[in-house]
Amino acid sequence: MKTLNFSFATKLTFDNYVHSHCFALRCLPIESNSQHIVNCEMNISPFVPTKNTVDAFGNNVTAGYIGKEHRFLDFEINGCAEIDLSKPKTDYMPCYLYPSEYTKPDKNLVDFYNEISVKCNAEKPYERAVFFSDILSDLIRYEKGVTDTKTTSVQAFELKKGVCQDFSHIMLSLLRLDKIPSRYIAGLAVCDGETHSWIEVWDGEKWIGLDPANNCPVNEDYLVLSQGRDFGDCSIDRGVMFGAYTKQLQLITSSLKTAY
Amino acid sequence: MKNQQILPITNADEINNLLRRYGVKFGVYKNGQFKEQFFPFDPIPRIIEAEKFKVIESGLVQRADALNKFLFDIYHKKNIIRDGIVPEDFVYISSGYLPQCEGVTPPENIYSHISGIDLVEGKDGEWYILEDNLRIPSGASYPLIARELTRAASPDVFSENGIVDNRNYAKLLKDTMDFVNRGGINAILTPGRYNAAYFEHSYLAELTGAALVQNDELFVEDNMLWQKTYSGGKTRIGTLYRRISDEYLDPLTFNPQSLIGIPNLMEAYRSGNVAIINSLGNGVADDKGIYYFVPKMIEYYLGEKAILKNAPTYLPFYEEDREYVIKNIHKLVIKDVAEAGGYGVVFGSDLSEEKLESFRQTIINEPRRFIAQEVIDFKDLPILENGGQVMRKADLRAFVLSGETTRVWASGLTRFSRNPDSFVVNSSQGGGFKDTWVML
Amino acid sequence: MGNVMIQSRTGNISTEHSSRIYWLGRYAERALTTLKSLERLYDKVIDRDPEHYKKYLECFGLNDIYGDYKTFFHSFIFDKNNSCSAAYSLERAYDNGIELREAISTDSLAYLQLAKDKLKSAENTSQGLVVALMPLEDILYGFYGCFIDRVYNEEIRDIFLCAKAVERVELYIRLKYRKEKILSESERMCEFLKRIPENTPYRYNENILENLMEMIHSEKYIGRELEAISLVNSIFDGGAV
Repeated sequence: MKTLNFSFATKLTFDNYVHSHCFALRCLPIESNSQHIVNCEMNISPFVPTKNTVDAFGNNVTAGYIGKEHRFLDFEINGCAEIDLSKPKTDYMPCYLYPSEYTKPDKNLVDFYNEISVKCNAEKPYERAVFFSDILSDLIRYEKGVTDTKTTSVQAFELKKGVCQDFSHIMLSLLRLDKIPSRYIAGLAVCDGETHSWIEVWDGEKWIGLDPANNCPVNEDYLVLSQGRDFGDCSIDRGVMFGAYTKQLQLITSSLKTAY
Repeated sequence: MKNQQILPITNADEINNLLRRYGVKFGVYKNGQFKEQFFPFDPIPRIIEAEKFKVIESGLVQRADALNKFLFDIYHKKNIIRDGIVPEDFVYISSGYLPQCEGVTPPENIYSHISGIDLVEGKDGEWYILEDNLRIPSGASYPLIARELTRAASPDVFSENGIVDNRNYAKLLKDTMDFVNRGGINAILTPGRYNAAYFEHSYLAELTGAALVQNDELFVEDNMLWQKTYSGGKTRIGTLYRRISDEYLDPLTFNPQSLIGIPNLMEAYRSGNVAIINSLGNGVADDKGIYYFVPKMIEYYLGEKAILKNAPTYLPFYEEDREYVIKNIHKLVIKDVAEAGGYGVVFGSDLSEEKLESFRQTIINEPRRFIAQEVIDFKDLPILENGGQVMRKADLRAFVLSGETTRVWASGLTRFSRNPDSFVVNSSQGGGFKDTWVML
Repeated sequence: MGNVMIQSRTGNISTEHSSRIYWLGRYAERALTTLKSLERLYDKVIDRDPEHYKKYLECFGLNDIYGDYKTFFHSFIFDKNNSCSAAYSLERAYDNGIELREAISTDSLAYLQLAKDKLKSAENTSQGLVVALMPLEDILYGFYGCFIDRVYNEEIRDIFLCAKAVERVELYIRLKYRKEKILSESERMCEFLKRIPENTPYRYNENILENLMEMIHSEKYIGRELEAISLVNSIFDGGAV
């Protein structure tokens, strides 16, 4: 078991006033068998009353509405969590076996899957996942700025470049083609100064984490913020607002450190 | 039936003029242009005798109840899959299945408040179910207002024939809305005048006393749904009737591009603060692939035999059915379960031998993608045309309302095709409608 | 048509509805007053002064592109593309009405459809213009009656009456009706305006209303019509605060 201190902050600034702003945040870390939230504090500015619910995938959702005009929305969380991977997660959903919005394969990806799956001698789901991840880490180059939050696994695979989110999506496409249920994780990692993404593989009775972008197993240095079929279920903040603004600027800072 | 001789309604023009006067229209887009069309009414009613209707009624109640239980089961324990009645692939590949609804319980456990079940009467006198529509089926308002007008225009017809009054639809709907209401007013959400069902929305709002609302006047705060008022205040909404698709209903949970939805409506719904008519996720139960399993569902959940028959259907997914389909493809109608509406429907008789052969291969390669049905030879109904009567294909959409109890509206929307060769009875393709009389 | 169920609404109507009701009131009134004043004009034109229609155009600051009074009358009554015509106003009234069915009742709405149909049939009749239009006025009066009778929500009725009154005052000023007529319509308008609750978009601005009434009452009113019209049209500016 490991104790981690975490903090995460987002500053959203609009270049003009907005109003009737409705938002849903998925940034309060999940409470699960392997992850206990000892304490967590959330601050949102401008002040707005919020409600917390848990969505179908088990994520904490913080919903709010700002009717009046405003030019920014800042939110931050600070807290402490205990991570214990000896107590695995078992919250299964059938949808994790089927293609989703971001992970629907095309012919290229199916061909690629057929090519590599015959070479794979491993039987256990997690071992197969490790095999695929090894291949991907040689094939796909980690590069920022070539993909964005709308990039699908098919598009990233075509580019052979991407960031952690893209590595996760391609892995999910391959695993689901391989009839292995798997899911997308958004979270924080000690090794990464930004928000991170990895995947979890269902081995028949429990979830096992795998970090395809770093091609390594997930240890107790990872904090899960949200989980789902793909990025679409896990976006940290989604919002709809009205106003004459033309662009918004988002600054994210985060940190995850071992507590001593 | 009290009288053997049914008095006909002869003043069709008068009634169509009245329908015009009362604005009974639907919107259509043709060549990118919006037009409001009048929905032509044919005065010769479809007549269903009391005894026959009793059978249909009990069959429909049974079906709607089983479908509601199925939806609850799918989004909770999934017993029907575990017990091997419905193969899981048919559920989870369906585009109507929404994982976001897992574990979410709608008020009073009702998913399909209004079930529009399409039937046809075969030449053998037997009624067959064609499809279930559990995502706010529309059309009830047309026979509803037509009845109001025909009674005014031809009172004798109604005094001479014993016809069940169908004008209780608004009451049935209001009862359902009130039963599931979570506090606040009832509201009908409409995309506006340019929506095909706009007449229906506005007329049902008038008759049920619900507020007719558009998305930009609604917002979610404290996980409750509100309507903005002109004095800067807000009115709580406890039941929301809507026709827009699930995928567009909440841009923060579903399609983020949606401009017609209400952000965070899903939060209010999941918190149990608003009833949504019909509930979200119903598409998994009115899917073409799931249709096959409805009679099995009735047995599984209710322990009863299905009273109304499905059109004979085969699933190539099962080996025995696959063999039959491959052998008889030329006389079957094949439906692609992934396609919605009238798309992906192919009549084997329309295909060349070459095309049939390649279709057979497709079915063998992707057996789960298709269902096959016998073509039902359904009874034609007389309609008035140029002063005479001609026979045309017609179906019947029955409306089942689920609230405190499950009730069938003693009427329905009978749609007919104008084109003598067409099996497609669709209002946007120039068809018309008839009143449906259930006899006392 | 019967079977209407009343749901208690605790005096709240939506912003969307309030503006539709307001414009329904204004356009329905504009259609009727346009017809009425064109009939008066027609009476003058037929035997005394065939050029008199140009005075009507002047009131709207329009040039004569019609050439003769028959073309003029046809356009100002029947042409839906002429934004000063009765037909145009009727279409706009209908556009607002159809989005208000549940608030104003199917019966009220039917009158607008009937009015549109009647106007269309009057265009092709061989009857005298005034006689042909008479049933149309009957229908519009029927619409008002039905509206008042069938709408139970006081706020909706008040906004509608208010809009009607504002429109009539505006048109009477524009068309240079006799001062006494303008005065009595303005007083009625004040009465309706005062019924609109505070903090709503159709709450009048006290200063503007005062200025307007002062101007209409003043000895030197004649010649200041445009100024008066601009006051009428800004009567709700800043009234909600």
